Amino acid sequence: MSNLSDVGNLMYLDLEIIESDIVPNTSEYLINATAQELSSTDGRNWIPLIVKEVAEDSYQVIGNNFIYSVAEAAGLEKVWCIIADNSETTAKLSRMLAREEVPRINLSTASTEDIKSALEYLIEQPNTPLKTIDILKATNRIDEAPRQYWQDLNPIINLKCGITRGKKVKALEKVFYLTPEAMPDEIKDPKVLNTLTTTELKKLAKKRGRSGYSKLTKAKLVNLLSQ
Amino acid sequence: MVFTVDRELQSLPPEIAAKLSHLLKNLPSDAREPIVNHHFISKSFFEALGFLSNECIPDFKTGNGGDAVDYALRKNTEDDSFLHTKTSPYILVELKGRDINLEYGKGSYKTTVRQLKRYFLAPKCKSVQWGIITNSKHIQLFRKHGKTIFPATPCLEINPDNIVEITYQIRKKIEDTSRALTVAVYNNKGGVGKTTTVINLAATLTRQKKKVLVIDFDPNQHDLTDSLDIQPGEYKFYNCLKDKQNLFDIKQAICPYTKTFKGGITLSFDIIPVDDQLAKIGEDQIRQEISPHSLRKKLESLKYEYDYILIDAPPNWRYYSISAIYAADVVLIPIKPNDINSLRNTAITIQQYIPEIQQSRQEKTQGLEWGAIALPIFFNGGNITDAVKVRVKNAIAKIINQAKLENNFDLTSYFFSRYIPGKNTSIFEMPNSAYIANSAFDSIPASYRYKVAYDYYSQLAKEYFIQ
Ligand SMILES: Nc1ncnc2c1ncn2[C@@H]1O[C@H](COP(=O)(O)OP(=O)(O)OP(=O)(O)O)[C@@H](O)[C@H]1O
Ligand SMILES: [Mg+2]
Repeated sequence: MSNLSDVGNLMYLDLEIIESDIVPNTSEYLINATAQELSSTDGRNWIPLIVKEVAEDSYQVIGNNFIYSVAEAAGLEKVWCIIADNSETTAKLSRMLAREEVPRINLSTASTEDIKSALEYLIEQPNTPLKTIDILKATNRIDEAPRQYWQDLNPIINLKCGITRGKKVKALEKVFYLTPEAMPDEIKDPKVLNTLTTTELKKLAKKRGRSGYSKLTKAKLVNLLSQ
Repeated sequence: MVFTVDRELQSLPPEIAAKLSHLLKNLPSDAREPIVNHHFISKSFFEALGFLSNECIPDFKTGNGGDAVDYALRKNTEDDSFLHTKTSPYILVELKGRDINLEYGKGSYKTTVRQLKRYFLAPKCKSVQWGIITNSKHIQLFRKHGKTIFPATPCLEINPDNIVEITYQIRKKIEDTSRALTVAVYNNKGGVGKTTTVINLAATLTRQKKKVLVIDFDPNQHDLTDSLDIQPGEYKFYNCLKDKQNLFDIKQAICPYTKTFKGGITLSFDIIPVDDQLAKIGEDQIRQEISPHSLRKKLESLKYEYDYILIDAPPNWRYYSISAIYAADVVLIPIKPNDINSLRNTAITIQQYIPEIQQSRQEKTQGLEWGAIALPIFFNGGNITDAVKVRVKNAIAKIINQAKLENNFDLTSYFFSRYIPGKNTSIFEMPNSAYIANSAFDSIPASYRYKVAYDYYSQLAKEYFIQ
């Protein structure tokens, strides 16, 4: 960084010129009790706010929002801040490092271990709809499914591992994203074909120059295409 | 990828041997990594191991973030030059300078081993079979079989006088890579699920297209043989074990266990069932005829035939379990989580019994083989509440501390496979499942019959064996 930039510096800034637009979902109790602790010492926030400069003398919090709330509640006029750069990736990473955002992993390529630990994390969350899920069963079925082709998480519903349509499969979006591979046209694996809809299977049959498929059921289509 | 083995090689070629020893002698006593690399490893050691310079890639990217291992080695084939394709590495080498102490047990040794293990499990290193750490004063060879990693030699001290012999021995090992991983399933406590684990792991690995041999080495109970309803053939395993002249072929003691499923698919794994003769003969007589190393020797001829050899051992520390662990590469230990005694027993197994076996293996191989190591334990069949879990974790912490204080033995990694200081103390849990329990009477493995049981044991297999 050049000498003209504050990026990377620890600065003592007026709370007045810092904005915090995400409201942390932390209890009033934690904020106020911590604020009292802060006021009863020398009023210095040893763990800094992470901010970015949005305009000259105008900053926005990108990490440690909790500290902002506490400083406000303690009536501090100035807080210690680290100035980060303006990129969205920095903001995102800062939120993750501050544990304000849950990182997601790529389910198209994740290892079985990563899938298992992600599910374990979800199950430990308060009020999770996944409380009763059998971890080993769910992990193994997801791991062995043709997930590299999944366009969304809905095929998980068909794995019969207790993750049903609605709240449960939705809850998985918190930790998983997908970067689907295009499915090769010549695919024959019934396991993969079964994940397609009837319409998609018919399209595939057409592409392969098959005939007489238009009235077939899904099971028969899968059978035809896996030959 | 399979490489042709030069089985004729009786020792290193004289000019290569002379160069190796000479260059090591000429290394300054304070040589840092670049010097060790330039004047010894890349100049002579790789050649002595049988690799041409275009078969060694320095700074090989493992595919895990920015990680790069010092060297990856692999022989070229006619249509595939390693230097160009950079795929299917066979050996990883992590180099250090002489300023880094690689003596066994030292802090810098442990860090280096951890580093090698991380490289082993990285995405682009799946094909790797061997790993070497060295600083030109010490050297150790590690084996990687699927996900399983274990030392193939002790950490050996090297000098200009022994470098030729040690390099030759390492070369012999890497040119003769066993297809099979031999696993003894053991706990000196009874009824923890050893036999159940062996049967279901065998079936699960078979479903995953691995070739598996199971040995029922618990003649007094012969639970495994009974529960799969195996009728031993004419041939006697007893005769085979006591045959010290190589007259009997162990293959004749093998019975296939084959199941045909609804869709017409047939799966099969092999079993060496109990020979009733063994149960009839007292242990005193057994020890007069059969040595603790006999089983290992007999299995030698099968190590290219199977992917996994699983041995079911009895719950005590006598002839059969000792032989099973002597024959094994790794020991898998199931534990009943709510039984504090079985935790204590396990600590004794790991600190005392297994090292005894290692010592004997080292003595019998002139210090060239390390002997079986324990895999991290897993909890079998106890659905434990959070409260019990906390109590068990506390008990384990106590056992670990005691071992550190009294024996200077670090048990941590045997209990917590993913341990990072201060954090992850997770232990694999095999659920208590009615499907698994009831199958004991069905003469078919639960993991063949029930999808859920397959899922559970598949996860167990992936925890320890399958990368
Ligand atoms: N995960 C599990 N869920 C339910 N039941 C189990 C499970 N694992 C083992 N069992 C049951 O526990 C009992 C003891 O298991 P097993 O015979 O495999 O133990 P073992 O350690 O081989 O015993 P021994 O020490 O006598 O050889 C059996 O009835 C088996 O069906
Ligand atoms: Mg048993």
